[in-house]
Amino acid sequence: MDKLIHDTKGVTISNDGATIMKLLDIVHPAAKSLVDVSLAQDAEVGDGTTSVVILAGEFLKEAKPFIEEGVHPRSLIKSFRQAAVLAVQRLKDQAISLEDKALEEKKDLLKKCAMTTLNSKLVSGEKEFFAQMVVDAVSKLDPATLDLKMIGIKKVQGGGLRDSFLVDGVAFKKTFSYAGFEQQPKSFVSPKILVLNIELELKAEKENAEIRLDDPAKYQSIVDAEWNIIYDKLAKCVASGANIVLSRLAIGDLATQYFADRNIFCAGRVESGDLERVTKATGAKVQTTVNNLDPAVLGTCASFEERQVGAERYNLFMGCPQARTATLVLRGGSEQFIDEADRSLHDAIMIVRRALKHAQVVAGGGAIEMELSKYLAEYSLQFSNKSQLFIKAYAKALEVIPRQLCNNAGFDATDVLNQLRQKHALADGSGKNFGVDVNTGGVCDTYKSFVWEPALVKINAIQAATEAACLILSVDETVRNPKSEVPDAASGAAAQAAMTGAGGRGRGRGAMRGRGMRR
Amino acid sequence: MSLAFDEYGRPFIILREQERKSRVKGIEAVKASIMAAKSVARTLRSSLGPKGMDKMLQSPDGDVTITNDGATILEMMDVENQIGKLMVELSKSQDHEIGDGTTGVVVLAGALLEHAESLLDMGMHPLRIAEGYEMACKVATENLDNIKTRFEFSKEDIEPLVKTCMTTLSSKVVGRLKRQMAEICVKAVLAVADLERRDVNLDLIKVEGKVGGKMEDTRLVEGIVIDKEFSHPQMPKELRDVKVAILTCPFEPPKPKTKHKVDIDTVEKFEALRDAERSYFTDMVQRCKDSGAQLVVCQWGFDDEANHLLMHENLPAVRWVGGVEIELLAMATGARIVPRFQELTVDKLGHAGSVKEVGFGTTKDKMLVVEGCPNLKAVTIFVRGGNRMVLDEIKRSLHDAICVARNLVRDNAIVYGGGAAEISCALAVEEAADKVTGVEHYAMRAFSDALQAVPLALAENSGLPPIESLTAVKKRQLEESNPYLGIDCNDTGTNDMREQNVFETVIGKKQQLFLATQVCKMILKIDDVIKPSEFD
Repeated sequence: MDKLIHDTKGVTISNDGATIMKLLDIVHPAAKSLVDVSLAQDAEVGDGTTSVVILAGEFLKEAKPFIEEGVHPRSLIKSFRQAAVLAVQRLKDQAISLEDKALEEKKDLLKKCAMTTLNSKLVSGEKEFFAQMVVDAVSKLDPATLDLKMIGIKKVQGGGLRDSFLVDGVAFKKTFSYAGFEQQPKSFVSPKILVLNIELELKAEKENAEIRLDDPAKYQSIVDAEWNIIYDKLAKCVASGANIVLSRLAIGDLATQYFADRNIFCAGRVESGDLERVTKATGAKVQTTVNNLDPAVLGTCASFEERQVGAERYNLFMGCPQARTATLVLRGGSEQFIDEADRSLHDAIMIVRRALKHAQVVAGGGAIEMELSKYLAEYSLQFSNKSQLFIKAYAKALEVIPRQLCNNAGFDATDVLNQLRQKHALADGSGKNFGVDVNTGGVCDTYKSFVWEPALVKINAIQAATEAACLILSVDETVRNPKSEVPDAASGAAAQAAMTGAGGRGRGRGAMRGRGMRR
Repeated sequence: MSLAFDEYGRPFIILREQERKSRVKGIEAVKASIMAAKSVARTLRSSLGPKGMDKMLQSPDGDVTITNDGATILEMMDVENQIGKLMVELSKSQDHEIGDGTTGVVVLAGALLEHAESLLDMGMHPLRIAEGYEMACKVATENLDNIKTRFEFSKEDIEPLVKTCMTTLSSKVVGRLKRQMAEICVKAVLAVADLERRDVNLDLIKVEGKVGGKMEDTRLVEGIVIDKEFSHPQMPKELRDVKVAILTCPFEPPKPKTKHKVDIDTVEKFEALRDAERSYFTDMVQRCKDSGAQLVVCQWGFDDEANHLLMHENLPAVRWVGGVEIELLAMATGARIVPRFQELTVDKLGHAGSVKEVGFGTTKDKMLVVEGCPNLKAVTIFVRGGNRMVLDEIKRSLHDAICVARNLVRDNAIVYGGGAAEISCALAVEEAADKVTGVEHYAMRAFSDALQAVPLALAENSGLPPIESLTAVKKRQLEESNPYLGIDCNDTGTNDMREQNVFETVIGKKQQLFLATQVCKMILKIDDVIKPSEFD
């Protein structure tokens, strides 16, 4: 289910863990460390932000009875850490590598991962459509860096989700245009593209200069000189043979009309992110002067078009030769809807990116958690001291993921969980990939039904959740600066600063652990 | 708000200022959202269809709007509730994408939620309902593809387009003149349409209005109407076969952009400056004259001296024309926009068949009508109406009709209106539902029921007995498997929408279904609402 959170900045509807945690504005220091965990997960892998919080909460819940009985937190922490190491080791063994698959097959597998992520989101109805889109977009990127910035996401209100489309190149909204713009040609086949970072406007060349004239006859010559400067620039642009001129700075009305007369398309004040993607896609190089325009600095693409998308007009550069970039144009009924779709796709993109880098997957739908839980429970019997108890508790806590999955889908959790335990306990290991089947309310082999998650997400989630739980367990005293409890603290920042200062024990460590986690 | 207490009973403060926030959780939250959405939908219900009623909306500063256009009503209503706002955006995005059917989509979404509520009472999980709706939506849109018909049209044969536009207009204030208005809209769209790329740039159709006169006086100007007059009252009021020069520089001595200062220290220099300035004026006018221009349209102003000179040289001129108009004028007349006088040459001039200054009634308002342009790439619809409210409503109605025509240019498939398509989809969904086991079965049935809310509202608004009319049509559709039967809103005696010529575009209908389903899912998925209490 989603949460609707209404704050001073507006309304957000989301079920993305990190987004919700960020908006909740949590002030309790211990609770805050959970927020940090979720945000760290978001930054590190981009998905699984909800599970990490649930896991941490469950670890603590399991720990509580022991603490109440007087167990020293340190021994709990030690066992939990040990359990986490074991779990991660086991998880790595269980992971299935996709490295050796052919590219086409790999893409198909990546799509499955993306679909699993999208399952829980608002756009789940079209998950196949979007998963394909995400995989196509990510596979366009430079495999060496997989820079996220090179995937542009544009949101256009209106239309159905299905009207979203992927441009294998760049798309951006029509920029502000001057009179004469409509007389320019609006579509080209394999155009030459010139990208500039200068103003093409009639303007004062020097800001603080002043010209003194003593002969009125010379007046005209100054006017002419200014015009000549701009005309000279424009002529050079035209002479370069470009069909499309883009600039990060303004292209004035004079230039617009000049280009219109010469069948050249231009757009000024293009956002720098868009412009950067244009250069990557088309191979054009940004010029800061129009002198010595070498044909080599011009970019090209298969086709350019200005097209109506919803109520906006968009400039589309398609079929780029060295396309290391892609643009997703999202459509949807309302602003909140598109925003949520954007967040969902972001998660999916991160997952695909991660999976491309570390091509190892595990079965989703709670299957891997059940398997780890079983493994740890068995393993704990090797200890004859307190650790046995604690590791068992840890194992039990892991079951929270399938349980919550059932609850949220409206099924009887106890029933499903018992079925799962039975499957996983089978001696021949044939049941190890069984997870919750959210469609029918039973259990199924989630690996076979392609509910996959990248192993990295799970590893990170388990490690982060354990760290967070241990961190909170290790605190035995909270000292709070009274200032932070004044309801109308002068500003949020001040209150926060005060808290880090005084209750610093908890938070300071939290930050440190957070960094350690990202190894 | 969730509260925790330590062993001494002191509360933990978890969220900042949590006592000042309100929170609704679980099924309560879903129900509260549905309630809000329903009440918005109910407002619009009576505005649906050809006999739909108008709303009068008064804005905080006293402006009155009378309309039955869904998107406009919701925008003016200034809805506060967040879920209500979602409905407003729903109708707005239908407006952006399709331009028509903005009322229908809200009514449909309202009905879907209403039925979802009763399913919730049965204890169904909201997500399962949403999933069932999505399945049903797929079935319904597939059904639309099965029952659609294609309309062939060309620039010469515009009849099919006109008829579809007439359906849109029949529910509007211009219903009386729908034929005339529909023709105007279709001609306008076809004039600017790029039939090969199936693209229509609506920026090129300008809708201009003037209070006064009759609706019948509304007409399509195959050219431009500019809300300006000639710069000098003695200039001729009508020009024929004119060459037009379009300038974006003022009629005054050019100024360098760089800071400058002219030092005048002798009388001679002063005189020289004066002469230079004067010669600038004569020179400018002379250049216009030399180029062969018979009309000068200028983006900037010019002072009386220039005006006098132009008058003297018998060169009519218009000043202070806005950038958009300049652009349209350039497109229409085929002129190039000239940034300075030195560049004015014969080949940069445009051509217009006639330029007329038209006055209205007894008022002093005047407008310039530029017609007979060689390149019909920009047109203007000139609207007349009794008062400002009617005028605005006509403009909105025409906008809807233009959008419909544009959609047909993009995709020429249509379905039949009057609720016929909805009933047919409802039947298809019902049939499909019988093949589904599980909770989704109920959700799909609910979807089918909700679809029937549209014809129901149509019948109700037309003063027909809603349930009788709906069931009669439904029965006939089922028996004859004829998807063209709809509600006979105009009381013409036949239920066959083909005979009544009531059409709607397929993309418009599909869009309605998609959007309404999406919004429903979004609303159903929310189980937790946290907001500052002062918003209650």
